[in-house]
Amino acid sequence: MRKALVIQEDIIILKILERLVLLNHYDCRAIRSINDLNIEDQSENFDIIISDILFEGISPLDFVFQIQEIILHKSLIIVTNMGQKKIQNEVVASNKVDGFFAIPLDMDHIKKLIA
Amino acid sequence: MEEIILKIIIKSLLVIMLIIYGSIAFTMNYRRWRKRRLNLIEETFANVTSFYLYPDPNIEPDLIKIQRTFRKIGIVPSKPRNVQYLIDLMIRTQRSILGENYLKLKTLFTQIPPYGASANKLGSKRWYIKARGIREIYEMNQSQYVKELIGLRNHNNIYVRREAQIGLIVFLGWKSLRFLPYLKRQMTLWQQIKIVEKLNDLYPEPDLFYLRKAYQSEKPYANELIMRIIRKFNIIEDVRYIINFLDNPNFDTRESAIYCISSFFLNEADLSEIKKKFYNISNIEQQLQLLKYIHKISNEIDLVFFKDLLYNGTDIIKLSTADILWNNGYKEEVQEYYYHQYAKQNDGEMVSV
Repeated sequence: MRKALVIQEDIIILKILERLVLLNHYDCRAIRSINDLNIEDQSENFDIIISDILFEGISPLDFVFQIQEIILHKSLIIVTNMGQKKIQNEVVASNKVDGFFAIPLDMDHIKKLIA
Repeated sequence: MEEIILKIIIKSLLVIMLIIYGSIAFTMNYRRWRKRRLNLIEETFANVTSFYLYPDPNIEPDLIKIQRTFRKIGIVPSKPRNVQYLIDLMIRTQRSILGENYLKLKTLFTQIPPYGASANKLGSKRWYIKARGIREIYEMNQSQYVKELIGLRNHNNIYVRREAQIGLIVFLGWKSLRFLPYLKRQMTLWQQIKIVEKLNDLYPEPDLFYLRKAYQSEKPYANELIMRIIRKFNIIEDVRYIINFLDNPNFDTRESAIYCISSFFLNEADLSEIKKKFYNISNIEQQLQLLKYIHKISNEIDLVFFKDLLYNGTDIIKLSTADILWNNGYKEEVQEYYYHQYAKQNDGEMVSV
C-alpha cells in the first residue's frame, strides 16, 4: 500500500486531506506540525507528502529544502494559507515541489495529482 | 487593643488574598476547560466535514446522525457561544474550499444546526451584532434573508449598511445596482472598492442592462462607484460616462474620473472631447495628470493643443508641455517660445542669448 504524510496546522483542512488521501488507497499519517514527527516517520519512504510551508522557526524555502533531507519521499505537494505570489514563485522555482496550492483551493486538483 | 486591630487587618488581608487566588485558579481551570471544549467542537466539525466530503464508498451521509453528534458536544440553542464558534468554523471552511466541494459544503451547512442564529442577530439593537449577523448570512449564502438585507441598506450605522450592501451584491449581483439611485447615505472609497471586488469575484460577466439603469443616480459616490466598475470591467463602450465627469466641480469625483479614464485607450473623438474638458479643470495637479494621460494615448503630438498650453497655461503646465514637446522632437517650438518670453520682457526688443 502506498504511504502518505499530511502536515497541516488547520485541523479542518488536515482532516479533509486525510480523507481524500485515504479514499485514494494510501496509508495516511496526518499530523498538525513538524514537531509531531517521530523517529519511525524518518525511516519511512513516503510516496507523497502534502504539507504546509509555514512553521515556527523555519522559513518556507528552508523548509522545502530541509524536508528533502529529513524524510524520504517521492513527491511533495504544498497546500498553504501563505499563497503570496512571491513565495509561490520562489518555492516552485526551487524545483523541489510537485504542486503548490494556495488556500482557497479546489481539492480536485490534488486528487488528480495523487490518483 | 492595637493587637486586636492588627489581627483583624491581617485576617481580612488573608481573606482578600484567598479570594484573589481562588478566582485566578477558577479562571485558569475555566479557560482550560473551555479551550478543550472548543477544540472538541473543532475536531468534531473537521471529522464531520471531511467524512461528508469524502464518505466511504456506498455509504450515504446521515444528516440526522450529524445533527445528533453536534448536539452531544454542546451545540444547542441555550449555548449561543458554542453555536457562534461553530458558525465561525463554517465560514472559515467555506472560504478555504473551492469547486465542487464548495457546493457540497453549502448543502451541508443548510442542514446542520446554527438554528437561524445569524438571522436572529439582525433583530439586535447593537450595531456590531447586527453587522456580524449580516456578514454571516452572506458568507454562508443564506439567500432566504435577502429581503431583510434590502431593508438595512440605508441603516444609519455605517458598518451595518456597509455589510448589507455587500450582502446584496453577493446575492443579487449586477441586479443589485438598481438600488444605487435609492441609497441615501455616504459610501466610502473603501466600500466602493469592496463592492467592485466582490462583483469581480462573484459575477465577472458584466450585465450592462442593470449597470446602465444605475447611471441615473446623481450622488457623487454613486458616480464614482460606476466609474470604478467601468474601469474594472473594461467597459470601453461606456467610457463616455467617465469622460462626462472629468470636469465635474467636485474634486473627488474628478479625481476618480481621471484615475479611471487612465486605463483606457480612446478614439480621436473622445480624445478631442477630453482636450476640451481639460480647460475646465480647476486643479493644477489634476490637469497635470490628465495632460500626461493625453500624451500617453495620443499617437502623435497634437501641436495646436500643446502649443496653446505652452503659451497660455499656468507655469507648471507650461513646464510639462515644454517637457513633452522637447522630448518628442519639437525642440524648435520650445526654443521659439523661450525667445518669445525674452522678447516680451524687453518691450519688443530681442535680446541675444
